[in-house]
Amino acid sequence: MPVSIYLPIAEMSVNIFILFGMGAAVGFLSGMFGVGGGFLMTPLLIFYNIPPAVAVATEANQIVASSFSGALAHLRKGTVDVKLGIMLLCGGLVGATFGVYIFSFLRSAGQLDLIISVLYVVFLGSIGTLMTIESLNAIKKSRAGNAPPARKPGQHNWIHGLPFKMRFRKSKIYLSAIPVVTLGVLVGLLAAIMGVGGGFIMVPAMIYLLRVPTNVVIGTSLFQIIFVTAYTTIIQSTTNQTVDIVLAVILMVGGVIGAQFGAAAGHKLKGEQLRALLGLLVLAICLRLAYDLVITPDDLFTTISSFGEGGE
Amino acid sequence: MTLFTAIVGMVLIAATMTARAESLQMGVSVDVVPVGSDFDGTDIVVFGSIEGADDVSLKLGQYQVVVTVLGAEEDTIVRQKERIFGIWINRKSRRYTDIPSFYSTISRLPLEKIAEKATLRENGIGAQNLSMNLASQGTITSILPAPQFVEALRRIRHEEGLYSDNPTNLKQLSPTLFRAGVYLPPNVPIGRHQVVAHLFKNGELLTQSKSSFRIQKVGFERWMYDFAHQNGLLYGIMAVFIAIATGWTANALFRKR
Repeated sequence: MPVSIYLPIAEMSVNIFILFGMGAAVGFLSGMFGVGGGFLMTPLLIFYNIPPAVAVATEANQIVASSFSGALAHLRKGTVDVKLGIMLLCGGLVGATFGVYIFSFLRSAGQLDLIISVLYVVFLGSIGTLMTIESLNAIKKSRAGNAPPARKPGQHNWIHGLPFKMRFRKSKIYLSAIPVVTLGVLVGLLAAIMGVGGGFIMVPAMIYLLRVPTNVVIGTSLFQIIFVTAYTTIIQSTTNQTVDIVLAVILMVGGVIGAQFGAAAGHKLKGEQLRALLGLLVLAICLRLAYDLVITPDDLFTTISSFGEGGE
Repeated sequence: MTLFTAIVGMVLIAATMTARAESLQMGVSVDVVPVGSDFDGTDIVVFGSIEGADDVSLKLGQYQVVVTVLGAEEDTIVRQKERIFGIWINRKSRRYTDIPSFYSTISRLPLEKIAEKATLRENGIGAQNLSMNLASQGTITSILPAPQFVEALRRIRHEEGLYSDNPTNLKQLSPTLFRAGVYLPPNVPIGRHQVVAHLFKNGELLTQSKSSFRIQKVGFERWMYDFAHQNGLLYGIMAVFIAIATGWTANALFRKR
């Protein structure tokens, strides 16, 4: 078995075991924490010198596999609100279409790598901070002996005053279509530009803003992520030709294997401890990306000439 | 009769050879260089002979051959980063037309010992002497010449091993026969590469001879690359199906445990 393998789209030779290991490690973490892993994998691929354009598009392809596998389990348990998922998806497809368009534009303007890094720093930084603070508070409270306060049912915010209300039977909520579709658009944009499923935005937004019951949140989020990332994969392939199937398959296989062990390990740790660990991990990746943006690069110049096809 | 014809023929050939100026005959050891998954660079050989050489000059070693290998020419953008609010951002850029993706010279002596800088520059011989032309389209500021971009382009290509001068890889096998070893690095660009042999005498370019070879991806890599670029939609759909199949398999295996 050859150690190095040539990626036909990234056009580079890589060590197959390192990539497989990265897939397995991220799969382990995503299984343990119940997250998609795209926001961990894409920066890792960029650190490994995979061109960011290829990393983002290929990661969308990998997420199709992991979210499909996860959503199947939730469909069997009946914890997917298909109607809510489809409404989110409507927004998601619009967002992904715009996202791929923005992606192509930034790429030709030479700003794609920068924008991907900046978006990661902003999102990972804010989510990592929130997650760490929230989980540390929860750990303190549980040490003090108080149970964390349960959410009061029937609590309403401004979002529930919006028009075009729809009934989502599975979630037992009566909610305007506007925030649902808007959330879908936002997550679709992120899927296309950042190569993430968007679960890390979708799940908190559904819980805290839309007040969707926690038991259907993850299944519904996974359900719509399958379609948004599948759509993104196809559009990226058609528009930018940046999906590397060889790379995606290595990551998928590593990822699904890692996820099995991660899920088992996750049962042994407490929720707050898990969230604190994940929060710190997210912050570490954020800092590393921020450092790369600020430090003086070895070479201030870069060249690109891929728009003239060299092949015959 | 046939003997007579042969003798006449040989006399005629000899006569034309002395009458004509010098010329070069050249061949490349391969027509196609295959690039598969395990490609990590290769060597090819360019060989040839100096025809119609004058014996005295040969004895004095006044002839010098320089072989150049030129990859496909592409438009190339060079970007320069600047620090803005503490972050390094691509700001200025220049677009150059017809920049070779690969360039290598092979000679027996350093180029500057073979000909004057002006001659080399005029004929674009040597990685430092390639002409880099700015694209004519663009805004007023982007078509102003800026030497730092040309320098950066040459330097980056040199660091990547794509532009090189090799002043020792040409061997003179006999006074008229030469053999040039051309190294193609692992990142050598795909496409048709032009090979030109230049014959110098006392620093003056007498004649050239041209040939070419092709570097192409083979097997699975070629198939994938062509598929992705020629039918992106179908490629994307296939990528999604592979992902769904993998996800389904993983789920099925997991459920049994």
